[in-house]
Amino acid sequence: MFYRTAGQFKTSYQADHALFPVRQDAFLLGVILIFAFVIFPLTASEFTFRALLIPVLIYSLAALGLNILTGYAGQLSLGTGAFMGVGAYACYKLITIFPEMNIVVAIAMSGFFSAAIGVLFGLPSLRIKGFYLAIATLAAQFFLVWLFQKWAWLYNYNASGAIQVPNIEMFGITVAGPRATAITQYYFVLCVVCVITFFAINITRGRIGRMWKAVRDMDIAAELVGINLMRSKLMAFFVSSYVVGIAGALFVFLWRGAAEANLFDIPLSFRVLFIAIIGGLGSILGNFLGAILIVALPVIIGSVPQAFGIPLDSAMVEHLNIMIIGALIIAFLIIEPHGLARFWAMIREKFILWPFPH
Amino acid sequence: MKRMLRNAILSSALLAAASVAVPAVAQDEAIYIPNLAYRTGPFAATGTPLMNGQRDYITLLNERDGGLNGVKLEYDECETGYNTEKGVECYEKTKARAVVTQPWSTGITLQVLPKSNVDKIPILAPGYGFSPMADGKVFQWAYNPPSSYWDGASMILKNISDGNLDSLKDKKIAFLHLDHPFGKEPLPLLEVLAEKHGFNLVPIPVGLTEMQNQSAQWLQIRRERPDFVVMWGWGAMNAGAITEAVKTKYPMDQFVGVWWSGHDGDLKLVGDQGKGYRSISWSVPNSEAPLMADIKKYVVDAGKSQINQSEGEFDSVFYQRGLMISVILVEGIKAAQEEFDVRNPSPEQLRWGLENIKLDEARLKELGAEGMLVPFSTSCADHTGHGGGWMLQWDGAKFVKASDLLTPDRTEIEKLEAEKAKEYAEANAPWPVNEECSM
Repeated sequence: MFYRTAGQFKTSYQADHALFPVRQDAFLLGVILIFAFVIFPLTASEFTFRALLIPVLIYSLAALGLNILTGYAGQLSLGTGAFMGVGAYACYKLITIFPEMNIVVAIAMSGFFSAAIGVLFGLPSLRIKGFYLAIATLAAQFFLVWLFQKWAWLYNYNASGAIQVPNIEMFGITVAGPRATAITQYYFVLCVVCVITFFAINITRGRIGRMWKAVRDMDIAAELVGINLMRSKLMAFFVSSYVVGIAGALFVFLWRGAAEANLFDIPLSFRVLFIAIIGGLGSILGNFLGAILIVALPVIIGSVPQAFGIPLDSAMVEHLNIMIIGALIIAFLIIEPHGLARFWAMIREKFILWPFPH
Repeated sequence: MKRMLRNAILSSALLAAASVAVPAVAQDEAIYIPNLAYRTGPFAATGTPLMNGQRDYITLLNERDGGLNGVKLEYDECETGYNTEKGVECYEKTKARAVVTQPWSTGITLQVLPKSNVDKIPILAPGYGFSPMADGKVFQWAYNPPSSYWDGASMILKNISDGNLDSLKDKKIAFLHLDHPFGKEPLPLLEVLAEKHGFNLVPIPVGLTEMQNQSAQWLQIRRERPDFVVMWGWGAMNAGAITEAVKTKYPMDQFVGVWWSGHDGDLKLVGDQGKGYRSISWSVPNSEAPLMADIKKYVVDAGKSQINQSEGEFDSVFYQRGLMISVILVEGIKAAQEEFDVRNPSPEQLRWGLENIKLDEARLKELGAEGMLVPFSTSCADHTGHGGGWMLQWDGAKFVKASDLLTPDRTEIEKLEAEKAKEYAEANAPWPVNEECSM
């Protein structure tokens, strides 16, 4: 009824290949964007920005980067956290060496550093696959975090070994550092995420995306039909690490404000991987749904007892939180093993038929 | 539609969350003291007794005196699990009503420190955080009384060299530390002192993932045969190091830790074999003190404490240090109340209060805590107080005081503090510096 596709005729190939062949999808996206650009900023408090909205966006972006590699090109990676670190440290060095550099340029450039490192560690993917490749990327994870700790030049010989974000202005507005307001940081992150998501959608549904999917589904067959395996795998590593690197730069510069090497250790990689898996491998929407479940839901659940005045110890809330989130993850994966994105797709199918199912 | 519905649910949840952060005006009569506690995660074993101590002192004041000068104190914990990400969340959640931030981790301190000038909430980090915070002109909103890590390092060296650092010449000192901002903190000072006094410093980092298994580090110690091992450990690392030291038969009387490495629970694991292990400390447990009798009467026996009595937590160093941390904070609040003649001081007023803490021996005696805390006083320029500390020594069953009051050798530290504070201010420009106070 609400999702009726009857009457929406396609009269050209172009219309059939449009981003939203179904009109309601475009309408829904419009509503979400209005929420993101207008309604949330008008209503959210600083806590909502800093603990919910900004982290969800940044984690979604990181998961999107991983999803390009794992979900579309089929190369399992456990090094996401370290690649985020490369982006963050590169951005820090760029900003401190060239203080007059625009932060957008610095963030865009820091992505190239992590892309280069990603391609380097992606080289083994030409010979090894699956779990074996995961082990090779795990090596990247350990090596890079070790490097962040030992190479003092990276953190400008700071005594505590941490990087700290200075105040950075763009067109007279402070966008990063302690003086930046939460709302500017939110808009900054939102714009970057929107732009990258737009490109990611189009890359993955175009020629390159199909190439990746062919490699993912059966690489020998892909090679037989003339796909250059080396090029497509390394390109997947490049694009994925670029997006992950940008997510890392945003992670430190637009959200955390300070970071030490341990932050980029394996728990971060796992967290991003969980978001991608629970959201749905091989989907763009899934990253956002996964990030909402993994990043935002614990915060929301954590503030429920206080909102209703239930006297519970914060440690107890934390324990309950871990149990609830764990149970939810298992429940969602049992209901739909292919992730939340697939879950939503099924709901949408039902809605198209509703109220007259077969 | 479904997604719209989901959106509606999500946005209402966000609004609900947002309303939590808005101050509840009705409760504003009480002074709101949040604590970014960690009773979960890898550091819970050492965190829990400290949090219990902080909590119980506030409970005591509310139960015994009806609050502070008639105003109730509202102690609230926000669980971080020592995770910096949770730390930011907790900071944002509590800052609307908070008079003070107690970040409880060097990593979280580093994140909230730059914001202190903007949000104007004082940070109280007793015995941790960034050592240059002692410079009150630069770090107007941060306090780390009564001793900083650099003070601690200086006192340890002074004690193991019997007061004459030159006697350490050509000796080898291994510095076993957590590979984390906290553990690296004393390195700049130790390097300067090693250069100056000609001792051989061997830094041995312990990664967060190898805290419980330090065989590689102790193999290195066995090979290097250092004259002393100085430890900057926390959480599971302490127990790991002490059991390894026992296993490798490293002489315990040459093994010295910072105040966070003197946890009763870690030493109880090895009992008699840990005899001789020392830890510098700015607080000493004294279960006979009048304050402790009151805690027992009003809080513990009244069932209002969370301590684990069968494990002897009441007598432990960390529990009683937690109490002392709240004593320091409450002294600051009290000073602010009296100076500005207000019942509920604002964060700005508390900043003045924390700058004017006078915890001398007389005042400690008045509080019933004589000898439990080093006497110190803070000022506008000196946010640490540099009260010094005592050596505590493990006698096989408990920690006992094993030295007179030690004081840090400030000449090198002051130089370093000024230098690092300046560096910090430059890196974070524009950073306001308080020129009004004189040293």
